Amino acid sequence: MAEEGPLLESLTRRLAETPPDFLAEPRLGAAGVVHVDAVAADLLRALGGGPLAAAEVAQLRPPAREARTQRRRLRVVLLACWLLHDPWFAARSMGDGARAFLFSPELQALAEAADAPRIVADPDRREELARLCLKVLGLRPAGESEAQAQDRLTTISTAERQRVIAAARAAEERARQIREAMARQAAEEAADKWSRE
Amino acid sequence: MSDSDRFPVLSPAGRALLQRLREHPHAPRYTAECGHRLTAESLRRVRAFEAELRTTSPGWARGGYPDWLPGFVDLCLTEVPFYRRYGDAPARFEDLPAFDRADLSREPWAFVPDSQPLDGLIVNSTSGTTGHPLTILSHPVVGGCYTPLIKAALEAAGVTLTSGAGDVACVLVGWQQQAYTYPSVTPQQAEAGHLKLNLHPGDWRDPDDRARFLDDLNPEIYTGDPLAFAELMRLGLKARPKALVSTAMTLLPGLRRQLEAHFGCPVVDLYSMNESGPLAFRCGEADAFTLLHHRVYIEILDPDGAPCPPGVRGEVTLTGGFNPFLPLLRYRTNDFAALEWRGPRPVLAGLEGRPPVTFRARDGRRINNLDVTGALKPLALPQYQLHQSADGALRLRVRGRNTSPEALWAALLDLFGPDQALTVEAVDSFDGSGGKVIQYTSDIV
Repeated sequence: MAEEGPLLESLTRRLAETPPDFLAEPRLGAAGVVHVDAVAADLLRALGGGPLAAAEVAQLRPPAREARTQRRRLRVVLLACWLLHDPWFAARSMGDGARAFLFSPELQALAEAADAPRIVADPDRREELARLCLKVLGLRPAGESEAQAQDRLTTISTAERQRVIAAARAAEERARQIREAMARQAAEEAADKWSRE
Repeated sequence: MSDSDRFPVLSPAGRALLQRLREHPHAPRYTAECGHRLTAESLRRVRAFEAELRTTSPGWARGGYPDWLPGFVDLCLTEVPFYRRYGDAPARFEDLPAFDRADLSREPWAFVPDSQPLDGLIVNSTSGTTGHPLTILSHPVVGGCYTPLIKAALEAAGVTLTSGAGDVACVLVGWQQQAYTYPSVTPQQAEAGHLKLNLHPGDWRDPDDRARFLDDLNPEIYTGDPLAFAELMRLGLKARPKALVSTAMTLLPGLRRQLEAHFGCPVVDLYSMNESGPLAFRCGEADAFTLLHHRVYIEILDPDGAPCPPGVRGEVTLTGGFNPFLPLLRYRTNDFAALEWRGPRPVLAGLEGRPPVTFRARDGRRINNLDVTGALKPLALPQYQLHQSADGALRLRVRGRNTSPEALWAALLDLFGPDQALTVEAVDSFDGSGGKVIQYTSDIV
């Protein structure tokens, strides 16, 4: 966050105005329409970065059987591509930073917490994505000190993380109740039915 | 568990029938106790399901979807932890990810909707043949709804069940070394009796009791697998059922015709699985399965997950169902068929369990497992397994004793060529299992 980046508002406004093409379904096997690897390759080229490595292409073009685990991540990667197409980044040849962000654990974690439409619709999530992007690129929003930028990112990330943790706890508690009920019922008789498989 | 848990609703007539079935002088040595577990509220839900089934056509218009599908997808994506991970609903149904038995096997609890009460939870475990033993969470209403679905298939075959209090409606027969057996009653069929029996002589005090008992019960229908029906034919029964309902294994037309001629009744071939319950059926000379369940949407997917055009074989994939603990959203079944349109409704053609297997003849010809099924069709085989080893030799293993080895040789050599290496073996069981087997396998890549 050592260097000053663009105005935060310009990035969050850009996210709020994400065109439908960048919210379309990522191509996964036969499903979806957007080839995320092609979109990412175009972005890196526009920012003066090198081509995608084979391993990077594989991460952006997973097979159909991984659709259920990769769909959310790819949709957020697509959103990040739209954000990084902002003219501010293009003017500064930030290809290497963009590549780092697209494959970063920060972006992966955000995708696990919120899917792309929610990020676009929720002002706090738009701000979180914009600030995460700047952080991974080593930038801070224009007009903010390094400490201010870090504090604000921590605040919005913490609130979201607490929401996600609470939801995960509730889900785990429900799963535990079901597993306990399963354990109690495992030794019990089943119910009668007229045919068997 | 006591009888009041097994039979929460039980009239004096139902209790009397249960006692008769338990204490019958020719009854087998029952190995288990089991009841319908339907409370008055659960029974109301079974009856509501039956009423809906009778007034709703299964299927959907060509190129369209069932009316209930959008609401069902919303429920899955908001209420079911496993599907919630997908994110929001895509614009196209076909862009939803599909899942398979391995996913279900790993975390069955993740498929239970958040709002589903855990009362009445039942745990069904299946051994499976694909390397993924499966635990299915279920509810007494699910087992109860099998009855109206089977009755709907029977009515399509011209058979109406009329059994009531004091009668026996259905006997589920098996032929296994070991099986759970018990008597029960069915409140959704006026408390008529239902028994699960094993025809293996070891389960009976006297092997002749099998015919004495079944003749005295005179059930309206038998359900079971082809192997059990082949044994049923040998018992010399005097009583005749209104129909047989075959499940669990491929029923070849040769055996079906033999059963129809022997018992003088229709044989309904039911396509059913633990994950969904009964899905479709066929009877007589029909070459395709008619859809049965009005709350199931069936797609046929290729290996990449793309929907196959009508008439093209692929993996049967299910959405919907009636199990409140297991709403299915694009569940890949590992069964293969084509969806065809006969009139306004879809049917399943060329249905075969397990992935397609290609065999190789000595002259290099590739032979689809469907061709093998076709070659064996005229024969009355209850259950069989065909394996091709890396050197091309075929090994056919057969359960049951009602087809001559010569007929089996002739059928396969006619297909593969006269110089095909082939061994034919009669076996008592497949790997100690009395259940499903992987019918076709090959070591040739």
